[in-house]
Amino acid sequence: MIEWLTTTDHKKIGIMYVVFVLAFFVIAGVLAGLIRAQLAVPNNTLLGAHAYNQVFTLHGTAMIFLVIAPFGFGLANFLVPLQIGAPDVAFPRLNAAGLWLFVLGGLTVFAGLATYGGAAATGWTAYAPLNEYFVGTGAGQDLFFIGLLMTSISTILTSINLLVTVFLLRAPGMTMWRIPIFTWEIVATSLLVLMAFPSLAAAFAMALIDRHMGAHFFDPAFGGNPVLYQHLFWFFGHPEVYVLILPYFGMITEIIATFSRKPVFGYVGMVISAFAIAGLSLGVWAHHMFTTGAVSNPFFSAVSFLIAVPTGVKFVNWIGTMWKGAISLTVPMLFAVGFLLNFLIGGITGVMIASPPIDYQAHDSYFIVQHFHYTIGGGSLFALFGALYFWFPKMFGFRLDERLGRWVFALLFLGFNATFIPMGFMGMEGMARRVYTYPAVGHLPMLNAIATLGSALMALGAILFFVEVLLAVRRRIPAGDNPWGAYTLEWMTSSPPPEFNFETLPAVRSRRPAL
Amino acid sequence: MKTFVGLFATAAAFGFAIAIAYWYVAHKEAAGTVLLGIMGAALTFTATYALAAEREAKLEGDNPNETNEEAAGDVLGVFTTQSPWPILIAFCTLALFVGLLWVPVLGAAGLVGMLLCFWRLGAESARV
Repeated sequence: MIEWLTTTDHKKIGIMYVVFVLAFFVIAGVLAGLIRAQLAVPNNTLLGAHAYNQVFTLHGTAMIFLVIAPFGFGLANFLVPLQIGAPDVAFPRLNAAGLWLFVLGGLTVFAGLATYGGAAATGWTAYAPLNEYFVGTGAGQDLFFIGLLMTSISTILTSINLLVTVFLLRAPGMTMWRIPIFTWEIVATSLLVLMAFPSLAAAFAMALIDRHMGAHFFDPAFGGNPVLYQHLFWFFGHPEVYVLILPYFGMITEIIATFSRKPVFGYVGMVISAFAIAGLSLGVWAHHMFTTGAVSNPFFSAVSFLIAVPTGVKFVNWIGTMWKGAISLTVPMLFAVGFLLNFLIGGITGVMIASPPIDYQAHDSYFIVQHFHYTIGGGSLFALFGALYFWFPKMFGFRLDERLGRWVFALLFLGFNATFIPMGFMGMEGMARRVYTYPAVGHLPMLNAIATLGSALMALGAILFFVEVLLAVRRRIPAGDNPWGAYTLEWMTSSPPPEFNFETLPAVRSRRPAL
Repeated sequence: MKTFVGLFATAAAFGFAIAIAYWYVAHKEAAGTVLLGIMGAALTFTATYALAAEREAKLEGDNPNETNEEAAGDVLGVFTTQSPWPILIAFCTLALFVGLLWVPVLGAAGLVGMLLCFWRLGAESARV
């Protein structure tokens, strides 16, 4: 136990990230189940308004800050040094500090539940002036800010660490243009974090100063400006969407290339598109603010349309990689294909609401809920599961069961689409998001009932996944060093890898050193 | 290393370009222009530092034909595998934040604890 608490080995830290992420995922999943149970029928009284506000706030916060983003960095912790042939990350102790800041930050957010007035209830965006004065913004709201400040610091520290590691600790022959696409995506993501996260820290620090020291940064009654909070928040918030997706683009690129038995189609295009997405994402923040009337809608609309281009390039590259390949539909590959289908829906609905006239109609409706769940849930979450199945043998030396894995995929894919397709129609029928109940009008009762049934299927899939992990741990069937016939450097060492990663460093003379 | 410099320099140029475009299109809106301008400035700072560092750096990873034998040597230093200070730093950070808002004594203890941890970290680094 003490060995794990004090470890600075990047592999153990990476594994602990994954374990804590899965724990937070379970909590966030239970909260999602509560949301869907409350909305299963009209005029339901299972949860009161304030309890519902806390539940959806904690669900969103956990999924974004404690599951999707840290999983990418956790996996990067495990993989990046292995993929570039380094013995560890550049600053191992800074890395360990990052992990524990993330864990304690997450627990601090949830500690709000134990306070009088409950946890934060202002949504994951915690808009001003809502976060300053109103009911349900007591100590729980403060703990929300403190917890997320800690996770932000953790993410910034980890990003610096990974950037320095990639730039300075590559093995002989591992030039920048030979590093795997996953590592490139982590470089782009880390740069994005360094640009965007300080803005979030500033917004939260200013809100805390407003709350406790009598400042009025965001209080219009005293000359403050709540729209400034939105600017600061979304200057982080939209790049954050790409922090949540770029590492997952990298994961599925590796999976698709491995199971298509082909090199990545358009390697250079993949890299350039990652940086184009990262750069453009810094210029689209106010498309979340079209309806405030306080931003330049033409500018943000144009850049938002533009960002679809490099994302489209990635789709072409993934399809190009699969084209005429010897595709084997293993469980990781199924999740990668599921990712492509779901993320495409998320991307296309994103292009729709990049248009201000459409956004004025869809804003704050369930259409938006559908859109971002298709990008972050249907995209990142499916890639997360694909990555778990793919790299599990490297982490632990044994693999997950393929047959059960197919059931997990089927339940999650069917459940996900049954949950979120109806939400687009709910939005078009005018159902607002973040409402704790709704009247029995139009198709809303039927659509909500289908969505709740879908979420039950997803829950079954998630439970089956954890059963599968437990079975794999009990059986411990050895996987071998390279069970998938993959091509990147991490597959050239033992499973699990030894301390400092490689007994003998292999010669790197191409982008596919393991072949 | 050249890629590293190029990456930051290109990103810096992009930061300034988009700041100017935003200032023009958004009718001189201040908040966004400042945010994007600072982004460009910060990236310029990093690119300049990287350019200076690049002249002295010799990285094995930059040479496509470098062999392990040529790169051999204790150039990477020693990597620690255990340290109690990172987790303590995280607890001290939490104490500092919570203390700042509600219990000043706890905040002070957190700050002192952090300084002690950093001091011990320095000593640990010197040993390895």
